[in-house]
Amino acid sequence: MTEALTLPFFQRALAAGLMVGLVTSFLGVFVVLRRSAFFGDAIAHASLAGVALGVVTGLPPLAAAAAFGVGIGFVLNRVERRSRLPIDTILGIVLPFSMGAGILILSLAPGYQPELLSYLFGSILAVSSASLAVIAAIAVVVAPVVLRFRRSLSFVTFDPDGARVAGIRVDRLLLVYQVLLAAVVVASIKVVGIVLVNALLVIPAATAKLLARSLEQMFLLAPIIGVGCVSAGLAASYALDLPSGPAIAVMSGLVFFAAWVCVLWRGRLGQPSRAPSSPLAAPKR
Amino acid sequence: MPALEVLDLTVHFEGQDRPAVDSVSFAVEEGTIAVLIGPNGCGKSTVLRAILGLVPFRGTVRVFGGSVADSYRKIGYVPQRLAFDQTLPLTVREAIRMPLPRRPESADEDSFRHVVEILGIESILDRPLGMLSGGQWKRSLMARALVTRPRLLLLDEPEAGIDVTGEQTIYGLFEHLVAQERITALICSHELELVTEYADVVLCLNRRLLGSGAPEKVLTPEALASLFGATPALYLHHHERHRDRQGPTPESSR
Repeated sequence: MTEALTLPFFQRALAAGLMVGLVTSFLGVFVVLRRSAFFGDAIAHASLAGVALGVVTGLPPLAAAAAFGVGIGFVLNRVERRSRLPIDTILGIVLPFSMGAGILILSLAPGYQPELLSYLFGSILAVSSASLAVIAAIAVVVAPVVLRFRRSLSFVTFDPDGARVAGIRVDRLLLVYQVLLAAVVVASIKVVGIVLVNALLVIPAATAKLLARSLEQMFLLAPIIGVGCVSAGLAASYALDLPSGPAIAVMSGLVFFAAWVCVLWRGRLGQPSRAPSSPLAAPKR
Repeated sequence: MPALEVLDLTVHFEGQDRPAVDSVSFAVEEGTIAVLIGPNGCGKSTVLRAILGLVPFRGTVRVFGGSVADSYRKIGYVPQRLAFDQTLPLTVREAIRMPLPRRPESADEDSFRHVVEILGIESILDRPLGMLSGGQWKRSLMARALVTRPRLLLLDEPEAGIDVTGEQTIYGLFEHLVAQERITALICSHELELVTEYADVVLCLNRRLLGSGAPEKVLTPEALASLFGATPALYLHHHERHRDRQGPTPESSR
């Protein structure tokens, strides 16, 4: 296994995986807390149209997908605020439309498109220097912004009205969050693919939520679990000659189930629902 | 200068044929407890939300002579309910600190310790919010509202979901805050007995402001019958006992 670390393609894969695992699972805390996993899924699927445009026009597909995904994130934020439709319905419209558009655009390109499968299911071991640069750029922008606004975003997630009263510009902050989310989703496409993007966005944060006793612990645990799952999945993929994206997704799922069993074993799982829940805390709609 | 001035406040929600709140004007002097009363759906919570800028409205709201947008740091708000995921691993300590700056100053730390002490919540600081009882939850929300040292406190039915002892404790705390720290409080409430005991000013609302003044002057059986459609029996019982204790010309009950 150590010899793999000397190989340039594995070094690029590891660098891409660690960066993506870190920022995706950290931002994933908000995805889990805000129950917006479908948003990440929709952005990932919508990015296929960006990939297709890149393939047809000759632009770097990941850069085109990043531009397209961030644009979709921006538009979704605006539509959500102005439309009477709930966000899951809006996403249910955007997801098939843009994925269908992506496949139609790809059908315009002559010949077989081997790259399509790599975007659908990830190909971290084949990550190019150009893709690594895009991933690094996204990580460098996203990580400090999320760290800077972590407390405000937590406040908005817990109590948007209270956050407004405290002087936080909630709408602007949510726009920033959704654009950042779109960016990290696109960054993770090369690692786990469009279909499995929630493996990095949801599972590490959900595992951290199972184990954490405070929000701070959840923010600490999620990136550790995310980076661990990517590293372990990548190692398994190399050692056993398995496809990398599914290996990382399965590894993340196994870690979640292991944590769940541990928590169950310790008698902690389900504590909140057994506790004398406050009559003043209305169930989240 | 009043702590809060509301002039001709009207809230008309889209799709409704009449305003939820219609041309309401009142002022709350600094260092007093004002209580908005009225039947369900009369617009009490809407008035609070309009003052906070959480719903669109027509009219003017001034907080200590300035706009609400410039006065957010002076306002603390305690909602009646919060729709949040009860499995959220958010501790009481984290929830209270949320409105504080990212890098709190020593004054913020002092304020944190002070509100924890006066609300008596030291023992639950590391407990997740989803594990709290009604009274603990309400105290935690109050601590969060007070931690920024507001001068105006807006509370939406603070007694909701807590028992009689808890009600007395919470209202006793308002009295303490008003007396010791010159905080002004505007409270929405259904509890007429508590209102009689603690309010300086009562505002009777049923979409419009039907009357305002000291509780013993405003909360007459006739006024309550007009406001609620019927005089609340429990309140009358209490009111009569109160009058018997105080004599024929009751003074302020505070």
